[in-house]
Amino acid sequence: MATLEGRSRLRSILNKAALVLPTAALSIILLYLVLWNLYYSFTNWSLFHSIPEFVGLLSYAQAMSTVFFRSSFVHSLELSGGLILVGNLMGMLLAGLLYFVRSSKLRTVYLSIFIAPLAISMAVNGVIWLWLYNLQIGIDWLLVRLSLPALPWLSSTSTAFPSMFIVAVWAYSGLAVLFYLGSFMGVDKSLIEAAKMDGVGTFKTFFRVLLPNSYQGVIVATALLFLFSFKIFSLPFVLSGGPTNVSLQTIVVYMYYLYTTEFFAQSTAIATLVTAIAAAVVIPFALLGLRRWVRRE
Amino acid sequence: MSEFGPTVKAFLHQLILAIFVVIWLIPIYTMVINGLKSEFDVTSTPVFIPPLHPSLTAFAAVWSQLDVPLLNSVIVVIPVSLVATFIGAMAAYYFYLLSVSKRRSLNFMSNTIFSLIALATFMPYQAVIIPLTRIEANWGLLNTYGGAIFAFILFYIPTAALLMSMFMAVLPRDIIDAARIDGSGDLRTFFRIVVPLTIPGIISTLIFNVIEMWNNFFIPLVLFNVAKQTLIPVAVESFTGGYGTLYNESFAAAFLASIIPLLIFIFLGRYFIRGLVTLGTGGKGAV
Repeated sequence: MATLEGRSRLRSILNKAALVLPTAALSIILLYLVLWNLYYSFTNWSLFHSIPEFVGLLSYAQAMSTVFFRSSFVHSLELSGGLILVGNLMGMLLAGLLYFVRSSKLRTVYLSIFIAPLAISMAVNGVIWLWLYNLQIGIDWLLVRLSLPALPWLSSTSTAFPSMFIVAVWAYSGLAVLFYLGSFMGVDKSLIEAAKMDGVGTFKTFFRVLLPNSYQGVIVATALLFLFSFKIFSLPFVLSGGPTNVSLQTIVVYMYYLYTTEFFAQSTAIATLVTAIAAAVVIPFALLGLRRWVRRE
Repeated sequence: MSEFGPTVKAFLHQLILAIFVVIWLIPIYTMVINGLKSEFDVTSTPVFIPPLHPSLTAFAAVWSQLDVPLLNSVIVVIPVSLVATFIGAMAAYYFYLLSVSKRRSLNFMSNTIFSLIALATFMPYQAVIIPLTRIEANWGLLNTYGGAIFAFILFYIPTAALLMSMFMAVLPRDIIDAARIDGSGDLRTFFRIVVPLTIPGIISTLIFNVIEMWNNFFIPLVLFNVAKQTLIPVAVESFTGGYGTLYNESFAAAFLASIIPLLIFIFLGRYFIRGLVTLGTGGKGAV
């Protein structure tokens, strides 16, 4: 009897192991890669020091003292912060407009159009926008026809970053629209009906009823806009034709630039920094947000 | 708002929405029309005007450089997304078993693993590129299908596991419990009961991963250094400009690279959107 029980227990363990082992093994490899970064970030490994030596925080200090670091870090913060701000506003506005569309079929079509840029490679989006920003045949052609002043877009250092920001808003706002619309649709219909009966206008309904009941939309849109925008690489890479354009460099591009110029230890230092920042956002979001929303069923 | 009649308000509502929809569609519209322009059209029209003499010369010109990358993308992305979804679903069922368990230690473990999986999903994967390329170089995997497959599996199984564990949170417990009391092993329960019950979730995860992998630019950028052997997003980037590139060729290349994800999005977009919604809210607040 005891052996039979033992055997079925063994079988159960083997079953569970078969379920989880492939993912666990790959997760361990991924974790190993992160720790590998951490280890080498404390060395001086580069083209000039092909045998890494332990130097403490020196590589961090070196990587973070350059002009490139400062500008790329500021760009990443501006891109993420700006996208959180503008993306949330676009999300509220467009989701608000979509909420009051009567036909649910039409609403879905419009929503899909706002999300469509996310289904295309950001590298391809970059190729398209490069031509839209062309000074002769792009948006400037339209502006001139409308007797508006033409803008230098990507070809001037002062307008290059805002131009990239516009592409990011176009590409990522759909995320916010999706989550706000989801929140709005979840608001109790009887509240909306009651407001309508009381003769409350559409605008007031939006600000007094829909928005205050959409805290989940704010949290999710903000978290995802940050997580998606913090790892933007292809847009600056394609729009500036490589990793070296200072006015478009983001922190991830700077990390790649250090890697291609064989400042390996400095690159791993930036990689570790980027991982730590992402972890600081993801872990609370996963445990407090996703996990709880999953459990609420 | 009494100064506006309901008709005026409805009209304004439609108008503002239409303006935004048009703005959002312009880049995609230019991608579709400009690949069809002849050399004459390119030199005489801006990107917003449809072709006067539609021709396929641009497509013919870029095809010889994009045929292999397109095929490579199909060979790598389709099987990998299937495998990743499947393996992720198995892990998700394991988390499900942990989370319904009464032991607190298992619950804690489940929380820890869940955080790690979420971190692996959302982390800027570019951060581990140095160790990954070192390993792949040592194993001779650079410029090979194997190298790309390994990287995609590594980065997208967590996404699949995270998505599937949220889709599985709604599995009816009594059905699973009944199967397990009957003495059906966990693997058998997974194949016989869990998979059929979560087919919509599996399709969402699959579609989401196909689109994300297909569009990934960074992984092929670092793992391939032979232009002709790379995956499609990197191949398109070589048409961005420089002197002598005509814009009809850029757009034709862009169109060829996007046609598969766009077709999937047009016909199965609701599954992709469900994937996004689930990543953000664990499946609540679905539209």
